[in-house]
Amino acid sequence: MPVAAATTGRNPSAAQPSPRPIVSEPSPSFLERHQFLIYRLFSLAGLIPVGAFLVVHLLTNASILAGDDGRTFQSRVDMIHSLGPLLVPIEWAFIFLPMLFHAAVGFVIIANGMPNVGSYPYVGNVRYTLQRASGMIAFAFIMWHIIQLHWLGKPFGGGQFDPHHAASTAAEALQPTLVAILYAIGVLSTVYHFSNGLWTLGITWGLWTSPAAMRRANAVSVVVGLVLAAAGLGALGGMRSVDVSKAREAETWSEKQKRAVTVPGAAVAPTPIPVAPH
Amino acid sequence: MIKASETVVDADAAHGGHGDGNATRTVRVRVLRQDVAGGESYWERHEVAYEPNMNVISVLQKIAASAKSQDGRRVAPVAWDCCCLEEVCGSCTMLINGRTRMACSSLVDRLMAEDGEEIELRPMSKFPVVRDLVVDRKRLFGGLEKVKAWVPVEGSYDLGPGPRISPEEQEDAYPLSTCMSCGCCVEACPQYTKVEVVRRDDETEAEFEKRRKAAFNAGFVGPHAVSQAMLFNAHPTGRMIADERMEALTRQGGIQMCGNAQNCVAVCPKSIPLTRSIARAGRAATVWAIKKLFDR
Repeated sequence: MPVAAATTGRNPSAAQPSPRPIVSEPSPSFLERHQFLIYRLFSLAGLIPVGAFLVVHLLTNASILAGDDGRTFQSRVDMIHSLGPLLVPIEWAFIFLPMLFHAAVGFVIIANGMPNVGSYPYVGNVRYTLQRASGMIAFAFIMWHIIQLHWLGKPFGGGQFDPHHAASTAAEALQPTLVAILYAIGVLSTVYHFSNGLWTLGITWGLWTSPAAMRRANAVSVVVGLVLAAAGLGALGGMRSVDVSKAREAETWSEKQKRAVTVPGAAVAPTPIPVAPH
Repeated sequence: MIKASETVVDADAAHGGHGDGNATRTVRVRVLRQDVAGGESYWERHEVAYEPNMNVISVLQKIAASAKSQDGRRVAPVAWDCCCLEEVCGSCTMLINGRTRMACSSLVDRLMAEDGEEIELRPMSKFPVVRDLVVDRKRLFGGLEKVKAWVPVEGSYDLGPGPRISPEEQEDAYPLSTCMSCGCCVEACPQYTKVEVVRRDDETEAEFEKRRKAAFNAGFVGPHAVSQAMLFNAHPTGRMIADERMEALTRQGGIQMCGNAQNCVAVCPKSIPLTRSIARAGRAATVWAIKKLFDR
């Protein structure tokens, strides 16, 4: 344009009273420029730490099935809470923030896809669609679950779980039938999402590449899913069948033990575990 | 079904019949038509005389020959793309009874046995319609361009014979080389969504092309391009620009967009192991990204 203006000796702005607006493309956003990295971190976060936490969480909860009025469960909870003031930053750094990141990217992925299971009802495609549906159900469930039981939910009228009375407060929270049904749906969705995600993660990162390797990995994912589903549903059933008064007794005893240990000079041998009257 | 055939027999008898012995059966077709790019689409019914061993192309040829809809109106012949008629050129892809496939290898007998008497034809849904069943598959080829799906041999002097390829490598690569860019994989892929860029009035052709290319590149590159990238990255001469292909595959719209629905491998008319290529691309991208992180 300046060359043309120089050779013709005309003022370009005068020659073009209404210049055509310059068609400028919006430069790609941060998410677009680092899409590969973000999607890979998303995939990784699903396994570590979020998936790993899910496994630990479900197996810890399944310890309610020990049948000792929640004593084993209480001791596991105590172990987690022995982290003391470190628990909050650890929860945020390794559970809440990675989970929110995974969910946020997940919603972007869901929004960009167009499920077509009606036209192509193949197993893989059904699994693709279920992965997205279960992810959304799992997200809604986990948000509700945190508000209902975690102390963060206290301002919202939740936070019913008391780590010093683990079994009894969990049992009370899970008593309503509707809550139990929603928990079963939520737990199964979460477990499906994790175990199916385990299989697709292996393809994404290139761990299993041949069809035979994918089949073998799939068998492993199915077993992982079944074990976690059994642990999750077992924990749910176990919590609901806890005898709340007996669990409270056991928890009161355990609390006394903890106090006894913390009192200096009180080097008393811990009292034997009282046998619950049958 | 029998009733419909009987009416046809009557109609044929009234017109003197065809006398070819097959006039007792007709093939009913429902076509989703569109007169111009960006225009409204509409359904139109056609009916053609049945012949044994017909494919969808021969049905379309009969429709073009009669140029009449089922209700007897004179209509413009249905437009479609085809070339080789033996499932190697990849140009006649369309949605036949709701599923993406090649019109040339879709046999009418089988379609009627599987899905009933009426055959439904629609243009591919992931590409802009040019007219009727003809679509603009520029983005499909853009994907191949993006991953440089070729062997770089251009030069001004004789490069001599290329390196030898072992029979094992050949056997591994051959299935991938049968890709005919038909677009079935991207049509069935839930992650490959339609991108239609319309030229603005205030835009030059070059500006429009640039904008369209950017829009194409933002979307998923597609299973076919991933597989071709793996084919040429396995080739001893093609490997020379392997890093450029990996760069392309890890850019926006690259391999990370795959959602592992695995529809691509299920619909591929050439049975190309596309999911194996995708997983290999995933592995290569993992290694490449780590290398890039530490080698810079």
